[in-house]
Amino acid sequence: MLSRVADSLYWMSRYIKRTDSVLRLLKVNYASAQDDAAFTWRPVLKIFTYLEEDEISKMEKNTRMVLHYMIIEKDNPNAVATLVTKARENARSVQDNITNELWQTLNEFYHIVRDERLALALQTKDPITTLDMLIARAMLYYGIAESTMFRGEGLNFMNIGKYLERATQSVDILDVKFSDLSYDLDKTAEVTYWKHLLQSISGYALYLKTYRSGFEARNVVELIVFNNNYPLSIIYSVNMLDRYFERLKESSDRANYDKIRFMIGRLRAKLQYSNMHTLSDQGLHKFLIELNHDLTNIGNALNEHYFAYS
Amino acid sequence: MKATTLFDNYTTSPNTWDEMYDQIIVRDPYKKVFEFISTIPAAELNKSEELARRLFMSQGVTFTVYSSGEGIEKIFPFDIIPRIITGAEWSFIESGIRQRLRALNLFLKDIYSTQFILKDGIIPFEMVYSCPHYIREMQNVNVPHDIYVHIAGIDLIRDHDGTFYVLEDNLRTPSGVSYMIENREITKRIFPDLIPQNNVLPVTQYPNILHKNLISLSPRQTSEPNVVLLTPGMYNSAYFEHTTLARLMGVELVEGRDLVVENQRVYMKTTSGLQQVDVIYRRVDDDFLDPLVFNPESTLGVSGILSAYRKGNVAIVNAPGNGVADDKATYMYVPEMIRYYLNEEPLLKNVPTYHLIKNDEREHVFANIHTMVIKKTNESGGYGMLMGHAASEKEIEDYKKEVLKDPRQFIAQPTISLSSAPCYINGKIQPRRVDLRPFALCGPDGIEIVPGGLTRVALREGSLVVNSSQGGGSKDTWVLAN
Repeated sequence: MLSRVADSLYWMSRYIKRTDSVLRLLKVNYASAQDDAAFTWRPVLKIFTYLEEDEISKMEKNTRMVLHYMIIEKDNPNAVATLVTKARENARSVQDNITNELWQTLNEFYHIVRDERLALALQTKDPITTLDMLIARAMLYYGIAESTMFRGEGLNFMNIGKYLERATQSVDILDVKFSDLSYDLDKTAEVTYWKHLLQSISGYALYLKTYRSGFEARNVVELIVFNNNYPLSIIYSVNMLDRYFERLKESSDRANYDKIRFMIGRLRAKLQYSNMHTLSDQGLHKFLIELNHDLTNIGNALNEHYFAYS
Repeated sequence: MKATTLFDNYTTSPNTWDEMYDQIIVRDPYKKVFEFISTIPAAELNKSEELARRLFMSQGVTFTVYSSGEGIEKIFPFDIIPRIITGAEWSFIESGIRQRLRALNLFLKDIYSTQFILKDGIIPFEMVYSCPHYIREMQNVNVPHDIYVHIAGIDLIRDHDGTFYVLEDNLRTPSGVSYMIENREITKRIFPDLIPQNNVLPVTQYPNILHKNLISLSPRQTSEPNVVLLTPGMYNSAYFEHTTLARLMGVELVEGRDLVVENQRVYMKTTSGLQQVDVIYRRVDDDFLDPLVFNPESTLGVSGILSAYRKGNVAIVNAPGNGVADDKATYMYVPEMIRYYLNEEPLLKNVPTYHLIKNDEREHVFANIHTMVIKKTNESGGYGMLMGHAASEKEIEDYKKEVLKDPRQFIAQPTISLSSAPCYINGKIQPRRVDLRPFALCGPDGIEIVPGGLTRVALREGSLVVNSSQGGGSKDTWVLAN
C-alpha cells in the first residue's frame, strides 16, 4: 500500500474518532450545564482549544457560544466541522482504497456540518437533538467501515488510527474533569457529573453492574482505564491497537515493525500490570501524562516508519 | 397524449438542426422521451432535478472551487433531458472516429520517426517544428505497440443540416468520461425504467476496457503488472474523474510525490518499501510530467520519468508529445493525413479552417470577421477565442493586433451554429446548443468506442460555447440499439 494512502486512511479514521469524542464530551458537559448553575466550560476549552485566557473567560459561561465554537467555528482546529472536513479530505484522496459506501457517508457528513441549518439549529433548538444526530453520523461511519471495508492493510491502518485516537481521547476525558479536582481521587465531585459522563460514553450500564456503591471518582477511573470489557477503556483500546498493528507484520519492513511493536507491547504491559493501588501511589496526574506521552510517541514512530513519503 | 404546456413555447432557431424537432414534428428516437416528459407535471420535474443535484452532491461528483482559503463544492451543471443518438448515426460516427484515429496514430509514429509526410510535402516542416507540443525527446522512441493515442476524446458538432463535423481531436489528456458514466447512473435514478424502455446501449464497460488495455502495455513480463493513475492532486478540477477511474479500475491513484525513479525504473513508495510501476495512466500534462525535461518548476511530475519511458521500462498513457497531432493548426491537415496514410476518403468532415499565417487566408478572415470564430492553436477550454458575430469593434481590433504579433498561433473557422437540444431550465423546456464528445480507446486489439459520450450544453441562451469553464453543462447521452 502507498505510504501516502496508509497515512490518509490512518488520519481519516483518527479525525472521525476525535469528532466522536468531542461530540460526546460536549453532550456530557451540556447536560451538566443544565443541572448546575456553577458549571463552567473552562476545562473543555482549556484542553480542546488554543484560546487565550481572556477569550476563555468570555466564553466559559455561555453554552451556546461554546457549542458554536466547538462545532462550527472555522478557526478552531478541533471544531467538529474542521475535523469532519479533514477526514473527508483524506478520504477523498484515497477513494480507490475505501468502499464507495464509506466515501459517501463521509461526504454526506461533510455536507451536513457545512450546512447553515446546523448553525441555526445550534443557536435556537435543543442541542441534544443536534449532538445526537451528529454522533449517529459518526456511528454510521464506523458501522459502514466495519461491515463493508475489505480486510487488509487499509482497514488495519484505519483501526490503528481509531484505537490510538480512542485511547488518547479517554485520557483527555479523564484529564478534563480531574484537572478541575487537582487530580485528587478522593475529592468527590458531584455525582451527576459522573453519571452524565458515563452515559455519554456508553459506560453507565456497565458501571451499575460492576459497582454497587454509587458514584465514586475512583471507580469511574478504574472503569475507563482498566476495564477489559469496556470498549472505550484505555486498556481495551491499547489491546486492539496491538492486535491490528500485529497484522501488519507480513507486509512490513522487519526492523521498523519491531521498533513499534516494542513500544506498543511495553505500554500494554504497563496497563496490564497496574491497578488502582499502583495508580494512586504514582498519582493520577503523572499516570495520565505518561500515558499521553507513550501514545504520542507511538503516533510519531508510525509517522516516521510507515507514512513518510515526501 | 395528455396536453402539456412544457413544450408549448419550445421554438427552434432558424438555420439550426434541432435534435428533437424536425420543424414541428418530434423525431422518432425522441418520441418516447417526449411522451414520458409530457405526462409529468413541472413540479415533479423540479423534484427530479433536485434529486439529481442531491445525488451528485452526496456521491461527491463535484469539483472544488477555492475562495478565501475555503473550499466550496460545485456541481458540473447537469440537464435532466437525455440527448439521443440513433444506432445508424452512431455507426457512422464510430467508423469516422476509427478512421481518424488510425490516421492520427500513424501520423504521430511518422513524425517521431521517419517523417515521410513532411518529406513528401503533405505537411510543411515548419508546421510541426513550430508547434510547442512537438517534443524532440520523443524522436525515435520505441513506443509499445506503436500506439501513441490510447485515449481520445473527439469533439463533434452538427451543422444546420445535421451533418456531423469534427471540431477538435483531443489526444493528450481528454477529460469528461466520468460524466458519461455518472450521468447515466443519475438518469437511472431520476427516470426509472426509461432507459430499458428506449433500448439504450450501456456505457459501464468503459473502465474495464481501459484497464484491459493498460495491463496489456506492461513492459515487464509479469502476470500482475502495477498500473497506476497519476493525478496532479485534489486541487485539480478533474480530480473527481481521477478518483472515479482509479476506483472503477481498481488501480492505485498516485501523485508525483508517491513515485521515484531509480536506475531508469519507476517505483512507488509503499508501506513495505519501493514497488516497481509498469504502466502509468497520467492525467498530468506533458509540461509538468518530468521537471528534468520539461518545466523545471513543476512539482506535479516525477524527475527522470521520461528517461525510464525512453528506456522502455515503463509505459506512459497517452504518449508524451501527442500535442503535435491535436494542435489546431495540425487539425487542418487531418483529411490529408487520412488520404496519405490510409488511401481513404475522410468519413467525418472537418470544419473549414484558415491558418492566419497564410496572408491570403488571413485577409479573407479579416474581411469576413463577423462570420468567423478565431482560436489560438494551443489553447483549449474555450479560452482565447474571438466569436466574430458577438464581439464589439474594439474587441475585434484588439484581437487583430494580437493575431499579427504571431499569426502561427491562430486559426479561424466560419461560425457553425451547433445543433440544439431540449433542456429543462427554470421550469421551462428550452433549446440550447450542444456538442458531442465520444471517447475512443485504442489498444493492441484495435479501437473500441463505448456507445455514448459526453454531450456538453451551452446553458446560456444563444451561446455557442459549451466548455465547462465558460458556463457549460452536460447531458446523459444515449445511443439506441438498432
